[in-house]
Amino acid sequence: MNSSVLNYLPQGREVEIFTHAANNKLPVLIKGPTGCGKTRFVEHMAQQLDRRVYTVSCHDDLTASDLVGRHLIGADGTYWQDGPLTRAVREGGICYLDEVVEARKDTTVVLHPLSDHRRILPIERTGELIEAHPDFMLVISYNPGYQNLMKGLKPSTRQRFVALSFEYPSPEQEVVIVCQESGLDKQTVQQLVKLGNDLRRLKDHDLEEAASTRLLIYTAMMIRSGLPAAEACRVCLAQPLSDDTETLAALEKLISGHF
Amino acid sequence: MEEFVGEIWHKLISRQANTDFANATVQLDPLQSQLATYYRALGGAPGVSIDGADERVIRTHRRFAQKLAGSHLRFAVAWQDDRSLRLPVKLAFFEDPELNLELYYWLTAMAARLPRMRHWLKDNQRATLELFEHRPKLQQAYQRLAEACIALRPDPSTLKDSLGERERLLQQAILQPGTVDELPGAKGAPNPIPLWIYPPPWQDLMVETEDDLDDQGEGGPQEQPTVEGSRKQAKRFDDSKQTDGLMVFKLEALFTWAESVDLDRPQEENLDEDLEGAAEDLDIITLSKKRRAGSSNIKFDLDLPAPQNDDLPLGDGMKLPEWDYRKQIMLDDYCLLQPMLNDEALPEPIPEELRAQAKILRHRFSQLRPNKTWQRKQPYGDEIDMDAWLEHLTQIQNTRQSPRHQNFYKHRNDPQRELACLLLSDLSLSTEANLNDDKKVIDMIRETMVLFAEALSGSGDPFAIYGFSSIKNKQVRYQMLKNFNEPYGDEARGRILAVKPGFYTRIGAAIRQSTEILKMQKAQQRLMLILSDGKPNDIDRYEGRYGIEDTRRAIQEAKMAGLQPFCVTIDEQGNDYLPYLFGDQGYAVINDVNRLPQMLPKLYLNLTGLAG
Ligand SMILES: Nc1ncnc2c1ncn2[C@@H]1O[C@H](COP(=O)(O)OP(=O)(O)O)[C@@H](O)[C@H]1O
Ligand SMILES: [Mg+2]
Repeated sequence: MNSSVLNYLPQGREVEIFTHAANNKLPVLIKGPTGCGKTRFVEHMAQQLDRRVYTVSCHDDLTASDLVGRHLIGADGTYWQDGPLTRAVREGGICYLDEVVEARKDTTVVLHPLSDHRRILPIERTGELIEAHPDFMLVISYNPGYQNLMKGLKPSTRQRFVALSFEYPSPEQEVVIVCQESGLDKQTVQQLVKLGNDLRRLKDHDLEEAASTRLLIYTAMMIRSGLPAAEACRVCLAQPLSDDTETLAALEKLISGHF
Repeated sequence: MEEFVGEIWHKLISRQANTDFANATVQLDPLQSQLATYYRALGGAPGVSIDGADERVIRTHRRFAQKLAGSHLRFAVAWQDDRSLRLPVKLAFFEDPELNLELYYWLTAMAARLPRMRHWLKDNQRATLELFEHRPKLQQAYQRLAEACIALRPDPSTLKDSLGERERLLQQAILQPGTVDELPGAKGAPNPIPLWIYPPPWQDLMVETEDDLDDQGEGGPQEQPTVEGSRKQAKRFDDSKQTDGLMVFKLEALFTWAESVDLDRPQEENLDEDLEGAAEDLDIITLSKKRRAGSSNIKFDLDLPAPQNDDLPLGDGMKLPEWDYRKQIMLDDYCLLQPMLNDEALPEPIPEELRAQAKILRHRFSQLRPNKTWQRKQPYGDEIDMDAWLEHLTQIQNTRQSPRHQNFYKHRNDPQRELACLLLSDLSLSTEANLNDDKKVIDMIRETMVLFAEALSGSGDPFAIYGFSSIKNKQVRYQMLKNFNEPYGDEARGRILAVKPGFYTRIGAAIRQSTEILKMQKAQQRLMLILSDGKPNDIDRYEGRYGIEDTRRAIQEAKMAGLQPFCVTIDEQGNDYLPYLFGDQGYAVINDVNRLPQMLPKLYLNLTGLAG
């Protein structure tokens, strides 16, 4: 696998839509479950459009300064350093806020003037008002799962974005992806994907998170490097998804039907 | 001596007749939960629970010794309906306990593929093939089961005529699924096939008759049995299906009510003036449990339940006003609200079919417990606030002004949960209506209340659950199911699960009382969730516009008190009148009632999230 070119297998028309959004200087929102390819897609699109990505993983202690920038102390006193958002705005890159709902709402208000027609970033601390570079693009993602319902995005925020909804790839596509990423033989991968789809039925009722494409890739990598398949499934698919002994027993049984 | 011989004889006979391997017994009970997960993973419907199957009569061709011993007349076979999958409570079919365990999993897998049984012979073979298709190792496991199973079956060559031919074909169907389409008619039912799912007992006519199973017709649903004998059998196995009796009962109930409408419909009735309007703190059960002491001076109408059969009234009740829109006045002390407690309900654990859901909800809600947060720019605190300090330094550089504040610290503060919720459920007789063959509206309401309680006990938010119904203004029955002070546990759950529908829906009074209770909660956000199935109504003038206007008034009062009322209804016509009552952001009409139990906790999150 050539690491300088990121493989991405489109699930639908997302590549075209993203390109149109970029051409029209519109921000994009991507929703989808964990590990379904959101980050990979953004990185792929950045390569296609030849723009740099500034990725910020959001969490609830993230402050506006972490995005915009802050003063630091140097040898000659204090100086200002741009945050990832400001850099993307100045230089014309993609600022990608991963799991944006994790951030507190007062943090994400700085995005508002950037995500409408104004495309400006006011920096309060320095009094600067930056007009976004034509190639600046704002992309946010989140997982609309249960945990995030309470946090949800404000309708007024969502309104500003072109929204793409991702799901786990279809079994045929997932086989291609897992083969590509892991280098494992197709037959074993097919079996693995079937197991993955059995596991996904347990979402909501028995498992909080479904077995993601990412987990299937990890499992395939472990099998490829020599771990027995059933064991790899246990440590990469069953154990990471549940701590409940009853559930684990059922997962074990399920695995034993496949490998 | 004679007795002794008899005993030996009995032992001898029953040993020979008993084909179970008692030493290899595997019990269903400890496996139930994992089998349920396994079932869902293979595509079984999430709502289906796993229960024990009773033995049922299957008239096979028995050996002489078996006939003598009286065993083998009844077998426990696996079957399912929309609500649950029934598996034998123990399996001792094979000599190897591993195989018996394997058989439990196998039956569960088969059932996941057979939500509806149309054709016993073909469907079982088809399901087997479907399971193999994606899971090669499962096929190997099956092969072991199938071979062990054949070894225990009669040798077809020892059976006469069509019996032998039928057995031969069945064995072929077991070993090479998908190859047998038809069985010859033969006497009795074939020996039970432990690897297969059977139709529900009330559909099971065919196995008993001389006719072969194939008579059930191509793909079409089986006919209901009409033969007296089999109907009896159905009764024994699943009383929930015996709706006939129940229907009569319900119709009777309705009739009684219809009668009372005609007989007794006064337009205005004031409560006896001598009643003490005790404004007790309803939400604390400290009231003396004077059981059924005809304590109050209320004249019970004929249509009230006899006091000794009713729940325990708490105190003498309280008088509440009602809005008369025609006169545009508040009728003070017009309704008597009677708080009630079902103190005879037994503590109950979480019902098996809700357990998985409850666990997940509790876990999810526990993740919502507020975290400690950093407060910045504090005059004192645990750490230096570097941002504030730098800001201060740069401000000096920029403006050459001295700082007005010296707030350079960060302080970690303890989170305050600022949320209290009261759930008010409509328990009027209309909730007795059937949703489908198995469930009534009230069942959904019960499940909803339980899951909601499980979720909130995970989050740690204070909550209370009340139910209500009414018999005119004279008795608005206000059922305490869980109050704010009582910790949620088996006791409260027992009360929730024991609620019974009855009477009418004078919702205004119930809302007013709930408002009083919620007002006493200190939380910043106070939510009143109302669960209903239709419009306000009672057998006096409380219906139509009158009921709507009073309810609207009660909602407005709640809002004025700083509460947030929200209505969840399953009434399809809800969109017509609810905006008027609750505002267009104040209600939700749930179309798929089956989703109500899961929806309510979600809704709670949305509602509380909006304000956050
Ligand atoms: N459509 C796809 N094409 C190629 N690889 C993919 C695709 N979808 C998922 N992947 C693989 O799955 C992994 C996890 O995806 P990622 O983008 O990190 O998920 P997310 O950001 O949605 O949590 C990636 O590293 C990539 O290997
Ligand atoms: Mg990601």
